[in-house]
Amino acid sequence: MAQIKIFGYADKISVKPGDTIQFHVSADGTSTAEAHLVRLIHGDEHPHGPGFIEEEIDCVANGTWQVEKQFTQVGAFLEATDPDRKLALDGSITLCAFIWPTWPDVGHRQCLLGRWDNDRNHGYGLGINPSGRLEFWVGCGNEIDYLQAELPLQKQAWYFVAATFDARSGRATLYQEGVVNRYNSLLSKVAPVEYRSHVSEMFRFRQNNLPDTPFLVAGSRDWHALRGHFVSQLYCGKIDRCGVFDRALAREELDAIRAGGKPPSDGMVAYWDTTKGYTDRGIGDLVIDIGPNQLDAKGYNRPVRAQTGYNWNGRNDCFRLAPHEYGGIEFHADAMIDSNWKATKTLELPETLRSGAYAMRVRGGDGEGLAEEYIVFFVRPRTPTARIALLFSTATYLAYANERFATDGQIVQPMAGQPPTISEVDIEIYENPEFGAGCYDTHADGAGVCYTSYRRPMVNMRPKYRIAAFDLPWNFPADLSILAWLEHKGYEYDVLTDEDVHLEGVAAMAPYACILNSTHPEYHSERMLDAHEDYIAGGGRFICMGANSFCCNVAFRDDEPWIMECRKTGGHWIAWAARPGEYYLATTGQMGGIWTGFQRWGQKLVGNTFAGEGFAHSQPYRRMPDSYDPALAWITEGIEGEIIGDFGLGNGGAAGIEIDCYKLGFGTPPNTKIIASSGGHPDNYIAHDEEGAHAHQGFSGTHNYILRADMVYFEAPNNGAVFATGSIAFGSALPVNGFENNVSQLLSNVVDAFIRPGPLSGSNTTRKSTAGLERVAP
Amino acid sequence: MSIDSGIKWRNPLFVWGGKRDVEELPTIPFRSHKEVWERTRRSTTKLNPVGRLRYYYKWPGHGATMWNRLRYWPTRRRVLRVRGEYNPKTLRAEKTIVDKRPIWWVLGLLALAIAPLFTPGDLQNTLLTAGATFGIYAAISLCWMLIMGTAGVFSLATYAVVGTAAFVTALLAVKFALPWWLLPPIGALVGLVFGGIIALPATRLDGFYYALLTLGLNELCRVYFVTSKEFGSANGGLYGARTYIPEEWSQLGQLLLAYYACFGLMLLALLLYRFVNGRRLGRILRMAPEKREAFAEATGVNFRQARVWVFLVSSAALGFIGGFYTSNFGGVAFSIFNFDTVLLGLAMLVIGGVGRAEGAVVGTLIVVFFDQVLNTWGPARFMIIGLIMLLVVLYLRNGLFGIKAQFRAWRDKKKSERRSTRAEKGGELLPEEATETEDKSVIYQRRHDKMTRDHLKTLVSPEIIEEHRHSLNGQHSEALERLLIYFRTRPQVEKYAIMAVERFEGYRIVALSGHRGVAPRVVEDRIYATPDEACHGVFMRRVQDLLES
Repeated sequence: MAQIKIFGYADKISVKPGDTIQFHVSADGTSTAEAHLVRLIHGDEHPHGPGFIEEEIDCVANGTWQVEKQFTQVGAFLEATDPDRKLALDGSITLCAFIWPTWPDVGHRQCLLGRWDNDRNHGYGLGINPSGRLEFWVGCGNEIDYLQAELPLQKQAWYFVAATFDARSGRATLYQEGVVNRYNSLLSKVAPVEYRSHVSEMFRFRQNNLPDTPFLVAGSRDWHALRGHFVSQLYCGKIDRCGVFDRALAREELDAIRAGGKPPSDGMVAYWDTTKGYTDRGIGDLVIDIGPNQLDAKGYNRPVRAQTGYNWNGRNDCFRLAPHEYGGIEFHADAMIDSNWKATKTLELPETLRSGAYAMRVRGGDGEGLAEEYIVFFVRPRTPTARIALLFSTATYLAYANERFATDGQIVQPMAGQPPTISEVDIEIYENPEFGAGCYDTHADGAGVCYTSYRRPMVNMRPKYRIAAFDLPWNFPADLSILAWLEHKGYEYDVLTDEDVHLEGVAAMAPYACILNSTHPEYHSERMLDAHEDYIAGGGRFICMGANSFCCNVAFRDDEPWIMECRKTGGHWIAWAARPGEYYLATTGQMGGIWTGFQRWGQKLVGNTFAGEGFAHSQPYRRMPDSYDPALAWITEGIEGEIIGDFGLGNGGAAGIEIDCYKLGFGTPPNTKIIASSGGHPDNYIAHDEEGAHAHQGFSGTHNYILRADMVYFEAPNNGAVFATGSIAFGSALPVNGFENNVSQLLSNVVDAFIRPGPLSGSNTTRKSTAGLERVAP
Repeated sequence: MSIDSGIKWRNPLFVWGGKRDVEELPTIPFRSHKEVWERTRRSTTKLNPVGRLRYYYKWPGHGATMWNRLRYWPTRRRVLRVRGEYNPKTLRAEKTIVDKRPIWWVLGLLALAIAPLFTPGDLQNTLLTAGATFGIYAAISLCWMLIMGTAGVFSLATYAVVGTAAFVTALLAVKFALPWWLLPPIGALVGLVFGGIIALPATRLDGFYYALLTLGLNELCRVYFVTSKEFGSANGGLYGARTYIPEEWSQLGQLLLAYYACFGLMLLALLLYRFVNGRRLGRILRMAPEKREAFAEATGVNFRQARVWVFLVSSAALGFIGGFYTSNFGGVAFSIFNFDTVLLGLAMLVIGGVGRAEGAVVGTLIVVFFDQVLNTWGPARFMIIGLIMLLVVLYLRNGLFGIKAQFRAWRDKKKSERRSTRAEKGGELLPEEATETEDKSVIYQRRHDKMTRDHLKTLVSPEIIEEHRHSLNGQHSEALERLLIYFRTRPQVEKYAIMAVERFEGYRIVALSGHRGVAPRVVEDRIYATPDEACHGVFMRRVQDLLES
């Protein structure tokens, strides 16, 4: 019997009782699976902790589900909307495009543009053949006639390419000219590279078009007995303005287009001006046809827009400044933003469901290993009921989605200071590109992955998952330790997600007296950051539970919050670097990269942020003098001695993994107090390069005082307050010894004080708040 | 070696009071990494020039000018297979004729076509007769090559087919006074029937046995025709058929006509070879080479049927040649069934190289030259042919036309032998390899790697191993830290990692593939109970790999 594998996802990540949620499941080796709704309480299975805890919940969807193998279309491409088959040209034709191939020698055919049926060999296409040369081909079903260029295409160089075919004489001609300038390509003009190629040949027949073949850019239609129609011959690289004419253009006319002239209207069937339709607030997926037929092309798997075009000349660094220089649309053969599986089950959530982290547990066969899937989603209350909210960092979960550090990242072992610990599921996602990658990965062609989404299986959201590179629970599974702590301590709490904060802004946070976030709240959109700032400034009390907080800038579209865009730029702490001129988010038009680049350091919000990271032993905190201030004694009440958290499930200490520090120069509020700081981090900890303009040997743990986790506290206007732990390992120290330990004690002290109505004890701000936001309970 | 060398490493983190940070551990004396570099700089190994000279001309690319490519009408086949490419060293755009054989063919055939104009007067007779014989034998060799090379059937009955067709047509021609032009088609029919009969056992018998069978068949034919009265047992052959050569022509005219007719026959045979070997049948059979038949069959290639087809087509062609033989010589002698004829025919194939048309033609040329032109040498010429065949079989892998590839392989082998005697590699790229490397930084990377390894080898000691066991990923002594940084920064290919068989229960060591989408491979069966044990296991493997490198 085949090995049973179950993967699934839900169409929503944040829902309320009574909402409808859809589950999409694909299964190998079985046609039925046992599904059960569970409430997740603790994830980390570390033997020194409470282990995995879930609570089974009754619901109508529980029971046996019929499941099947589902297929995923990977690869980005454009499909022209052509209901009248204007592009089914069976006579003379010209295809032209500006292209910037990233991987011409990938070894399989890449279709640039064409109306080509790869299965039945009908139609026409212009592409790159397996030897990396430009090729034009026509097919009439039983035979294909083709013409290839003289020289292989150079990678990362802008070309203007065209194929003309005169059906009367049968003459086919390829046109290939480099449009390399000082900025736009890998090589400059000092490299003696011949980009030009003009080849001509007589074809024996002309193309024959099938009625239902779509006209695609960066792919071509294919067919498989099990899958039906799909798209193959996917292209890796950029395409700028491209078009189709129903006559063979003369070489002079093509020269004129190459020189930036207006394409001739005589014979124009379609001409996609990739720079049309840009707005100050972002770019959509529709590529506008400026030809007579308006055959706009729709992007599938979100081709990357806002990329530099063939005429980018280095002066402008954003599509908003010079849209006409940003016509590049980048395609990746392994891009994936939505599995687009059929819904396996639709569930209307019971009205009685309490707020929490839930999952649909789907098990096939024995439910071991790959035969068990948890489809995680979060349930908010219909109306907020508790004084505490736990904010899950779904944006960060998205960034890390299905990351492949351990298998693809050469620097991961020196970073982690240990060999990775890989599990079966890591190999499964590594072997199958249809699961897509996260923002820490690169596409197979070398470009960074800038779109990630939760409409596909995300193994890093499985509650028991441990990140292979560091052998730790990471993000959601680690965050469950905080949830379990709240459960254990008996606090009433609701849950929130980044998505709620992004869509609703501060209104999602305002009802709560105290909000705790996650162990690693790294990725934030501008709206999320604004909401946090307004919440705290408006009198909210915020506990930043983790580290590397509020660092990276990401963007979502309002109508598709399941897709996140992330461009990595600035500093060395990035998994990949956006190419020059491509730092701006196509989603919003804002610059990507780290919030440091906007003078919005995390310190300005919660008093500390990224100092550095390492994965050797975590360390304890040692109390700092401020903690002995009688006005702040309530924080450390009941804690004996100087040392806090010399234990933990995250490498044996409460301070470690990624650590944040106080820095006045980066906007830590001057009234901030440091309650405790960690120290003695080994040389495996390396300081964030924002800490010094030049890299030098003193960047590591035993040399640099920057490398410490600062546990900070400050009071904000309107009775607001912030407590920040400055360490990812903090959350994983909570469950040690049955939640009875000094880290847990300290957090209890803070939470108790934060949810108590009225001013904080020892607070200087005794005046009554007027500007404060309205709370649920007094 | 004792664990305690007396030298201690003092842990900078001890003062912080962490539970796992010990104050000091035994370590080894400091050794500078510069020793290795300095030793290398003192090396006096003689260094030779490297790289290859390109001694033949390459056409430049077309650049902005239009390259009009010609095709053989009505196919999509280009007149010459030309590949445009970048010179890997200079980046110059160049054109390479990928397959130069068409040029050689045209030149060779042209030479044969005009050869009669340049024959010396006193040798004219001999040479033109030999030329005609060559044409016929070349045609036979080509058809035989289809059977042996393309179909891979080791048949020795070729001359039996030709002879039978020749005798039958001669008999019919004599009896019924048939015109000369009817003889080749009748011969083709005879060949087809004969081929059909001997094709049957070809599907059953393998190699050697089939060769024996066909040789026996050949002998049977010889005995039959020699003893048969109808076929002229009395006068050594059957003559009297009408030929296409007008008797009223001058001798030179007759010779020339025969020469060009036989040349034409060879061209027809070449065309047949091209159409059978170069198209569907030949391609099917190339997918099912000897000893790979089962695989080809499993992938749906019906090679048996293709073989029979090739066999039948070639047999018909051989019969055609037999008919032509009769109409050329006016009859046929028994010697066509002689064992030495078979052997000479085999020599033609073997000398040229099995499996290629040019091999058949040039092999035939050589053998016919010795056999017919040098006939003054007497029996010695057979010894020479035998000697040539022996030498070809002994020293050449694929006949005369395999010489180029074989020479290159031999030259490369010799080069690497010489290189290995004078170069101390130790992980660095060899100079010859390096000049062919696209990314020159790889050369330095390998050098750096070698130097680093040479130094790191001196750091491996029981103290360091013990330190690692004690503190897997805390703060380390300088020596251990150097080793670990080196190990951890290696490229992903074959880099060790740990695989969780069961979290917190069983772990094993795997090696990463370094290739996207390819799963890691298990390197040993051992199961470690904890990640820490597995981590130390990885370290020990890495140390072992380092010392062995």
